[in-house]
Amino acid sequence: MSAPGFSGWRAVVLHAAGEGTDRLVRQLGLLGLEAVVHWQPLDLARTPADVVFVDADQGWGGLLPWGTEAAPVPVVALLQSEAPGRIAWAIAQGASAIVAKPVVAASVYPALVLAAAIHAERAVMAERVRHLEERLRLRPLVHQAVQQVMAAKGLEEEAAWARLRLAAMQRRITLEQAAGDYLAGITRLPEVG
Amino acid sequence: MGGLAAVGLFIDRAGMRVRAKIGIVFSTVGPYSAMGRDCRDGADLALLDIAADPACPVTVEAVHADPGGDPRRYLDAARDMLREGAVRHIMGAVTSLARKDMIPLVEKHDGLLWYTCPYEGFEANENVIYTGACPNQHLMPLFSHLLPRQGKRAYLLGANYVWGWEMNRLARDLLTAAGGEVLGERYLPLEETEVSRLIADIARRQPDFILNNLIGPASHAFLAAFRDLGLRDPAFRPEACPVLSCDLSECELADLEPGLAEGHLAAAAYFDSLKSPANAAFKARVAALHGPDRRVSAYFEGAYTAVRLFAEAVALAGSDAPGAVRAALHGGVFATPHGPLRIDPRTNHAALPFHLGRINGSGGFDIIASRPSIAADPYLVVDRTGAGRAGLRVVS
Repeated sequence: MSAPGFSGWRAVVLHAAGEGTDRLVRQLGLLGLEAVVHWQPLDLARTPADVVFVDADQGWGGLLPWGTEAAPVPVVALLQSEAPGRIAWAIAQGASAIVAKPVVAASVYPALVLAAAIHAERAVMAERVRHLEERLRLRPLVHQAVQQVMAAKGLEEEAAWARLRLAAMQRRITLEQAAGDYLAGITRLPEVG
Repeated sequence: MGGLAAVGLFIDRAGMRVRAKIGIVFSTVGPYSAMGRDCRDGADLALLDIAADPACPVTVEAVHADPGGDPRRYLDAARDMLREGAVRHIMGAVTSLARKDMIPLVEKHDGLLWYTCPYEGFEANENVIYTGACPNQHLMPLFSHLLPRQGKRAYLLGANYVWGWEMNRLARDLLTAAGGEVLGERYLPLEETEVSRLIADIARRQPDFILNNLIGPASHAFLAAFRDLGLRDPAFRPEACPVLSCDLSECELADLEPGLAEGHLAAAAYFDSLKSPANAAFKARVAALHGPDRRVSAYFEGAYTAVRLFAEAVALAGSDAPGAVRAALHGGVFATPHGPLRIDPRTNHAALPFHLGRINGSGGFDIIASRPSIAADPYLVVDRTGAGRAGLRVVS
């Protein structure tokens, strides 16, 4: 794996300012990030961020604006407590890495890499789920199209499937889209042979 | 101070000498003992020079520990030194493994760890002063010089700990960015000397060059076997397929059969053959103590420089309080055998020159390319591919 870089990233540190946040901001600076420290509910429109560090010991519901939705940026929890409730709160905010307090320099880069990688992976997975859900939703359409192709062309079910799949492949669209287009009379199926 | 004029001036405290304590932790036995011995000798020479200099307002008291190359004993040594509270500065460790073990303890005591060896980067700690080179000061200029001349098909070798792993990971990134290719990548424990399969693989794949991040006996066994391969097949002689290193130095050449590694290349911030009045004066001091045949390595010079730097910073600060010493370091320019040295207040790393040396027949390096001091970029924030760097000045 190549070493992830964070040059030009903007970090928001949601934590009461102090020695620990100074050390965190300094280390983030070394990694090429510009960091600001806030201790008030985050407004991403006013304070754009590519990554958020949040005090999981003192943080409250509403500190982060996304509530129960998926976090739009990687989140790192700053945590001293071992209290399960605080860890659960951090997870609920979308945290995917922890920097233990008191902050030591060597903990910042690994947490940042981990949070960014998991955030990216979550985004890919969410997109894949959305795509599969869409296809699942359109499955009855495919069934209907296969029935119509069988009737119109006098084909067995398997051959009708193959014809529909070929149409989708040729137009580089999904089977569901091809089925929808066929049923709507937008496209004709390719003749085979 | 002695033969070297310090740019950072000593403050005359009406004859009062500031007392400063430093713990020195190097392994003089074990698999990487050649480097550890040079570090220890360099530090000891600096201590002698400081003690002998009546103008120096600092009395440095050194406590030595020798972990014998056993990674677990570094932590014990550091703990013993820091526990009493009298020692707040520790200089030492050759390997990153040992350094990373000691850092949490030094942080806890808010002391300073002085690390003097080349390393793989991706670290910048407030409680560590780094005077050895990191990759934008060794591997990146080495590649930017070599890839256009030698080719971009590489075989990567490494010791199987963080140095080997990280150096080869970065090498792979740099090669990929340059349109090159990694033909093979192999890791060996420090003490492993069975290299015949590795040599056979290299012979089969015919790389343009080999990057050698092996350490100690493994590295020496490889160099010997590769020399034999070159004797059988000219395609593997140094002029056709050089072995590159960012840590091979004069101190290890002394342990190798004469001529064994001749023609191969290494990057360093210092070579014995560096021609400058400062280095000539320094080498005269080494020769006076160790005899005229002793070659000085970057490890020796690095530890020497760091102890001198410590004393000068204590003098400027008026105490050995770690915070004050660090602030004094950040503000000064210090004379060293390799030239003026600055410590970057952001990263605590030294800016260092780059030299590319070709191993000659007399146990030293001929410098074939150089670049003036490069600011350390331990996390490669400024330049990740080496593409943004200016070309080297070729000196021969």
